[in-house]
Amino acid sequence: MAGGEKKAKAGENGRAMEDLLAAVAETGDRRAFAELFAYFAPRVKGVLMKGGASDTDADDLAQEVMVKVFKKAKLYDVSKASAATWIFAIARNARIDAIRRAAKPDLDPDEPMLVPEEAPRADVVCELKQRDARIREAVTRLPAEQREAMMLHFYADEPHSAIAERLGLPLGTVKSRLRLAIEKVRKELDFDDE
Amino acid sequence: MSNPQHHPRYETLADFAAGRLDEARAVVIAAHAEVCEQCARDIDALEAIGGGVLANAEPAAMSADALEKTLAMTGAQIMPAQADERPRPASALDAYLGGRSIDALNWKWVAPGVHQHVMKAQGYRDGVLRLVKFAPGKGVPVHTHKGEELTLLMRGAYRDALGEWRAGDIADLDHEHTHEPIAFGDEPCVCLIATSAPLEFKTVLGKVLQPFVEL
Ligand SMILES: [Zn+2]
Repeated sequence: MAGGEKKAKAGENGRAMEDLLAAVAETGDRRAFAELFAYFAPRVKGVLMKGGASDTDADDLAQEVMVKVFKKAKLYDVSKASAATWIFAIARNARIDAIRRAAKPDLDPDEPMLVPEEAPRADVVCELKQRDARIREAVTRLPAEQREAMMLHFYADEPHSAIAERLGLPLGTVKSRLRLAIEKVRKELDFDDE
Repeated sequence: MSNPQHHPRYETLADFAAGRLDEARAVVIAAHAEVCEQCARDIDALEAIGGGVLANAEPAAMSADALEKTLAMTGAQIMPAQADERPRPASALDAYLGGRSIDALNWKWVAPGVHQHVMKAQGYRDGVLRLVKFAPGKGVPVHTHKGEELTLLMRGAYRDALGEWRAGDIADLDHEHTHEPIAFGDEPCVCLIATSAPLEFKTVLGKVLQPFVEL
């Protein structure tokens, strides 16, 4: 792989997202939160809209995600995941919750259900920020159609078959784009290299 | 326990990481990841990809008062470290077992040497989760899969055309597969099976059994 060390992406004012989260966790710092919000809320909204959500629904859900980010800031562990990865997991779980509420308003709250983890399960071996920066780079380098397939995989509320239909493509094409994209990005994640 | 030898397909892990699996299959994958370092890492990596996609996403402008509304909704409440909105059970399956051990379940007889315990898994997408226990030498009748099926071996061992399966191993079969696992060893084999569609039995015996299996 070409290139040397890559710095973790900083916020608009030069503070890393991870530091902003720490500031929110420690003191409920509203300015730090405003910076996090300025960066992440429009991106969460953007991916949800690409996934088929309406402007209003995506706006509401992005706000809900950011409320959780604020409230859960103390649960974030910088040694385990980058801010973007943690917020991805929160957004995923918020989306699952929204589906659950919409589909089953009468669902018993005591009904057993899986709450997907928001912290990594495994001990992350390689240096985290570097890993996530490499992933981000790799995602940028993907051909546009593979990046689109990957975004829809992670953020669209519909089966792959419906995604294919919406894009006017055979299902096999969508699946192979996704597979290629994941394989390429995964090469950046080789846990045993170096 | 030695490391599992049989893992889910990578596509299944990708679906899990993206929140695309039905509840039943998600529980099975989460339970496997608890005992499989390799798959736990793969899931972490997939989630990091989800984060990478987010960081690269094109922003869509938020409504004008979104930040104020969001701050108001937080009520300036930060949860203490270690807390979570919903207490997390020690294992993905625990919530479904309601604190009982596998031995203490109300096992229903299905066929000689075969018992099962069915759980509704109606989280965000419905699925059926069942524990099936079969005595050494016994098997689950031949069946094909209309939908997807995931089997996590919890105790004991079984053998089928694809090989031998032990605790922690996962069989991630698609609808093209037909299989007929037979338990072997000294203790009954207990499997956690998730299906997104009813099992379809192929033998006459299977057809006769179907009503008992509460499909
Ligand atoms: Zn595994």
